[in-house]
Amino acid sequence: MLFRVDVAAAEPLADQIAAQVRGGIMRGELAPGDRLPAARELADVLDVNLHTVLRAYAKVRDEELIELRRGRGAMVRGDADPARLRLVELARQFVGEARRQGLGDAEMLAMMREAQP
Amino acid sequence: MNRPRTPAAIILIWLPVVITAATWPTWSDRLPDRMATHWNGAGAADGFSSSSGFWTAMLVLGVVAGMAGIVIALRAGGAYGSRYLLGAAGALAGSTAGVWVASATATLQSPGDPRLGWRLLYFVAGLGWGAVVALVAGSLPSAVQPPAPAVAPLDLAPTERAAWSTTLRAPLILALTAASAVLIAVVAAVGAAPIWPLAAVPVVIGLVFGRLRVTADRRGLRLVAGLLAVPLKTIPLTDVAGVEVTEIEPLEWGGWGYRVTPGRAALVMRRGPGLVVHQTNGRRFAVTLDDPRTPAALLTALQLRSG
Repeated sequence: MLFRVDVAAAEPLADQIAAQVRGGIMRGELAPGDRLPAARELADVLDVNLHTVLRAYAKVRDEELIELRRGRGAMVRGDADPARLRLVELARQFVGEARRQGLGDAEMLAMMREAQP
Repeated sequence: MNRPRTPAAIILIWLPVVITAATWPTWSDRLPDRMATHWNGAGAADGFSSSSGFWTAMLVLGVVAGMAGIVIALRAGGAYGSRYLLGAAGALAGSTAGVWVASATATLQSPGDPRLGWRLLYFVAGLGWGAVVALVAGSLPSAVQPPAPAVAPLDLAPTERAAWSTTLRAPLILALTAASAVLIAVVAAVGAAPIWPLAAVPVVIGLVFGRLRVTADRRGLRLVAGLLAVPLKTIPLTDVAGVEVTEIEPLEWGGWGYRVTPGRAALVMRRGPGLVVHQTNGRRFAVTLDDPRTPAALLTALQLRSG
């Protein structure tokens, strides 16, 4: 899969890399059991700090999409679910936009309920 | 078969098979039921097989080699690497005939105590037959290499950095590895003949080729054998003259696995889409990938940026 980061973008580099991993799983380019590049190698080729990549991997691990094992690197979890991941991504966008418009939790939940057919 | 000498090569591959077939009627009534088929280091026979069974086995192997030659000629056409495949088929056909002739003549000479001796040369000559076949098959007239067709570069902003990587798996190779490992365990358990070094070969191949990592980034194109992390191939970005996305026909590249033929090398896991890198020194390197477009576009973009 392709990793690309933009050093001029406002989004932190670690978040950009985490988003790439998420995208890879969503598009099916990364299947359960697939290994991610070693953090040291990815940091080298993208010319970013090793801790930036480690932070990105840790973030995706906390989202329960990959597992990190000492000495074995990062691997996509067997239960990583692209369909659910797409929903989470939509929810993330929804919440982000709602916050920008100044909406509170109650208003967001009300909108979700209204969205039901 | 667009090369005039290919039919001649096919005939040469079949020649040893004809020898094996033709000698049976003249020798069979003088051969004992069981003939010597293996010799120890001192030159005395230590392995015996049914004569007709041994002959049949050698004949079948020869026929398989002959059929393989025909298939190679038809499938690969006049492709570059087919000369070496035809040579390999010739070596197999020749060596099986050599084994048959050497064993049979040794037994005919002194049925009581068959000695192999110089007759080993029959086998060596049979192997060498492959070189004759390859020579006759000849090389293609060196065609002018077309320049690599342009691949649209990935749209990378100047502030963007990109890297691509994928893992290749060869289910067949992994399965063979597992099967060989089981075989070794069984053979070791029953304490049978020490054939396990032979079975260890697929295990080693499996460990090296079972999982491969292919990366394309600012370092260029790299192939790293996964399980043992052995670097197989590195083409620095500065050595990349151009990249091409194409369908890989294994026989055109010399077969499956890691193949090296003059001027070219390839890692072929299957028939299908692949990436071909044209190097500045005129060599070409191909690797089969599910999605060769992304690394091709990336390498082109990185090359434009550096150049």
